[in-house]
Amino acid sequence: MSWMSSIARVSGTGLLAASLFAPTWIYAQQTRADAEKDPVFKAVLEELDRSKSQLQLPGFEKPFYIQYRIVDVDDFETKAEYGASEGAQRTHQRIARVIVRVGDYKTDSSGGRGDGVLQISALDDDPIAIRSGLWSATDQAYKTALAAYAQKQAALKQVQTPPQADDFSEEKSLVSLADPAHLKVDEAAWTERVAKDSGLYRTNPPVQGNRADVQYSSASFHGRVTTTWLATSEGTIVRKSGAEYEESFGAGTQAEDGMRLDRSYASNGTSLKDLDSADVFAKHVVGLIGSLSDLRKAPLVEEEYHGPVLLSADASADTLHGLLGTSVPATRPRMGTAARTNGAFASSYHARVLPEFLEVSDDPSVKTFDGKGLLGAYDVDDEGVPAQAVKLVTDGRLQSYLLGREPVKDFPLSNGHGRAGFTAGPRPEIGVLEIAAKEGSSDEELNRKLLAMATDRGLKNAYYVATLGGEFAPRMLYRVSPDGTPMGKRELVRGATLSDLDQRALRSGIEAAGKDLFVANYFGEVPETVIAPALLLDEVTIRRANEKNDKLPFYPPPE
Amino acid sequence: VLLNAMTTELHRAFTSLGKGPVQQGEGKPLPPYFLSYAVSDASDVTIRAQYGALASSTASHQRVADVQIRLGDPKLDNTHGNHRSSAVNSIQLPLGDDREALARTLWLATNAGYGNAVDNYLRVKTEAEVRAKEEDNSPDFSAESAQVDLAKPAPPVVVDRTAWEQRVRALSKIFREFPNVYQNVVMLTVQNETDYFASSEGSRVIAPHQQARLVVFAVTRADDGMDLFRAQTFEAKTVEGLPSEAEMEATLRALGQSLEALRKAPLTEPFDGPAILSGRAAAVFFHEVLGHRLEGQRQRGDEEGQTFTKDIGKEVLPTFLSVSDDPTRTTFEKTWLSGSYTYDDEGQKARRVDLIQDGVLKTFLMSRLPIANFSASNGHGRAQTGRMPTGRQGNLIVTSTKTESDAALRAQLIDEAKKQGKPFGLYFEDISSGFAVTTRSSPQAFQVIPLVVWRVYVDGRPDELVRGVGIVGTPLAAMKRIVATSDKSEVFNGECGAESGTVPVSAVAPAMLLSEMETQRQPQGTARPPILPIPGADLAAGSSMSTKEAK
Repeated sequence: MSWMSSIARVSGTGLLAASLFAPTWIYAQQTRADAEKDPVFKAVLEELDRSKSQLQLPGFEKPFYIQYRIVDVDDFETKAEYGASEGAQRTHQRIARVIVRVGDYKTDSSGGRGDGVLQISALDDDPIAIRSGLWSATDQAYKTALAAYAQKQAALKQVQTPPQADDFSEEKSLVSLADPAHLKVDEAAWTERVAKDSGLYRTNPPVQGNRADVQYSSASFHGRVTTTWLATSEGTIVRKSGAEYEESFGAGTQAEDGMRLDRSYASNGTSLKDLDSADVFAKHVVGLIGSLSDLRKAPLVEEEYHGPVLLSADASADTLHGLLGTSVPATRPRMGTAARTNGAFASSYHARVLPEFLEVSDDPSVKTFDGKGLLGAYDVDDEGVPAQAVKLVTDGRLQSYLLGREPVKDFPLSNGHGRAGFTAGPRPEIGVLEIAAKEGSSDEELNRKLLAMATDRGLKNAYYVATLGGEFAPRMLYRVSPDGTPMGKRELVRGATLSDLDQRALRSGIEAAGKDLFVANYFGEVPETVIAPALLLDEVTIRRANEKNDKLPFYPPPE
Repeated sequence: VLLNAMTTELHRAFTSLGKGPVQQGEGKPLPPYFLSYAVSDASDVTIRAQYGALASSTASHQRVADVQIRLGDPKLDNTHGNHRSSAVNSIQLPLGDDREALARTLWLATNAGYGNAVDNYLRVKTEAEVRAKEEDNSPDFSAESAQVDLAKPAPPVVVDRTAWEQRVRALSKIFREFPNVYQNVVMLTVQNETDYFASSEGSRVIAPHQQARLVVFAVTRADDGMDLFRAQTFEAKTVEGLPSEAEMEATLRALGQSLEALRKAPLTEPFDGPAILSGRAAAVFFHEVLGHRLEGQRQRGDEEGQTFTKDIGKEVLPTFLSVSDDPTRTTFEKTWLSGSYTYDDEGQKARRVDLIQDGVLKTFLMSRLPIANFSASNGHGRAQTGRMPTGRQGNLIVTSTKTESDAALRAQLIDEAKKQGKPFGLYFEDISSGFAVTTRSSPQAFQVIPLVVWRVYVDGRPDELVRGVGIVGTPLAAMKRIVATSDKSEVFNGECGAESGTVPVSAVAPAMLLSEMETQRQPQGTARPPILPIPGADLAAGSSMSTKEAK
């Protein structure tokens, strides 16, 4: 399983049903006057007004759009190795980012490097200090925008094909004021807990016998709460908050032939309640350490295999995160081309991208799944546009893309997916991406099909990928051979890499999908969630990774 | 516990590595001839304010171990030539006293470091076989005696965070009186560090180091786009030793005034004539221009400038000047010296080194990397955690036997200008350190930026501030034209960056009169000043610089 995803095997119908209901976040009518009760907003709006009315270089255009965003990041991280703490760090900072656009919605200064300027903002709610940071960034952003605008107009004269869409979408302004959030964690308790986790290989009876083989064993806890203030010259005023928590563990060893073997596990969510209890987490850790011994003993995978492969829902989520998650956002194509967007799905609008039995949607307004917090959920995106449920793929065909305020051909408006890291500009990204089958199969049915496909092709065995490390690097990979039972005989192997797992495989290689969905939460500045079923693929290549095998330790670890 | 765990694990590693049975197909075993563990245990509090408000306030405590492994023999080992930096392997170490966790972490880094060392040693040997004889065929590692000194570790950092946050914030707020100071940062860093060192030669050293430092940086821009900045630092062993709030406030106000004055000062014109460097400016000048070129490793290696390699025993400065580097001094008069330490980063005892005596070059700043004619360390092997130590400065101290009062020095400047038929001489009040470039491929120009320069007129007119002064010509030639010095010295405390990373340093020097200094106008940016006045400019009380005037 991947470093960032969580194990939460859930059953049921999934999000497609849930998203039929209207979003539940509608606030009472809020106004600018409400926002001004907040000292940060009061300062932000005052400076915004001043920039809007007065910022102009003689002989040049005034800005037509200004956006101020301040993100308050309250962060705690504590790490441990081999049973002892390496230390903890609590950081609190506010980052201001200013975007200034000149020109108009059709053609503006955007697109180059001049789309935003950063400043550290005041932690104190000091109006002059907050405004000073914004003022400095605005001045720089405006001058950069003027230069970028002139450059773009010159560049437009060099191309015959005009841009296929406007530069910036016109959206309704929004006032939405969620409460600011604060990080409350028991720092000492988490520091102690991760120290204990990282030392389980020393103390836990079932695994301590192999303690000498454990080359690293590290655990960490990371909690992060953000409050974002966003105000634009169009009148949008948004205050929103987010929280993410993650406890993680990683351990590694080498096989006798020097091959590095790693395992990792993370439990995460939007509140501390989403995380595993100490006991449950410890059980996972002990399981992982035990699996290192199994992996050491496991035989090498065969040299090359072409044939059916079953991806667990966990492995599918990571695979689809990589293949679909990066293809569904729409971004402005290169100037002078007639392309709609970039990436693998650039020309796939209305085309088939998945088998007919699969549906894909992205609905960031869904906050929980089976009671568990979804990291990718939000109410309003980082451009001040409300999150919308987007049906991306129905009956296997691509119906839409994810958009921020940068339009592409046939999609003139944002659908609330303009998302931004703390220091980065907004761009379209997934929030809560769900892939589900109309009629999913049970695990047993999937396994039965896998074995049947292998037999039909005259193969002695097929493969089951339980967890992935990197994108195409299985960690727990099983050779499955028929033995008369529905699940077949499973044997752990090591040292494999997957290939031919690409867009084409998604379009025409998926034979069946599971009915149980797995939630993978990706912790990060732009947190994401992918919810996916197990997938049975018709033809995947599995071969030996042939990575460089480092020497075994030159001398044994200390007792 | 930490030092014991280090020593025990070091012994185990040293006696195990390269001693195992030789596996088939592998050459003869390669036991290390030297192994050291250097652990930095550092607690920090950092408080930062800008625009009059707090930007961050953090506390941290961490331990990092640098493992150094040497294979072969001191004559030729895995650190030879460009492989030098590869011999250090760093790893974060657990806090606390868990011996098993400490030992296992050191094992992990030692194991990785050994693999690296073997790889580099084999390459060094191959390279040695195929290349022509080197200019300097000194060994790679000097023989030194083991050091044992178990000092008391530094105490934990004690800072009243709330009170200091308020102080740092208040200091930053002073710049609101100067609306054309577009940016300012005030940062307090308090670090209590203990260095633990153990080596296979039997060294066992515990060396504490404490320092509190408040740094102020402020920026303005002239109407023609020239960027102008000033920096000021205050150092002491602990926060209690820093200057009083009133004293700091006065210094910051002077800094603000100086920037407001600078942005309106006339642009300089090319000028070649006499000049005075203030003590602070002279200190920076000596650190950058002379100090870096006296680092031992710069005399070795084909890529280095080797400015002074063949000058030992020769006169390189006027005979009334002497230069030493003395890390064992912690203060000069009442000023704390940043570059002080008790043991260097190779576990060698710090000592005073007389580099230049009566103008004559005697020796270099030596780490354990020998050079022709200098085979031993003189306790100046320094590095940032994670880097391989090289010869570096600590507290560079310039002394003079030809001293005058400041007034007499100024009179002499005017006389000298008259003699040369110049309408004025220059007074360099403040210089910023740049980076001294000494590699052979780049010109040996100096990289110091004059920040505050005055014209001192011969006809009795008041001194005139000018901006945009750049120094041209070879720096070393300028040093030979020093004709007299002041009887008072000033301290410059700073951080110095070079190949082995950033280390705290000091330089101490008296003001100096140079018979000739060639200057030109230096380009410093062309961006327009901000379009709108800084927020709160209309509230800036007591300032004569209204925003109208700024336009």
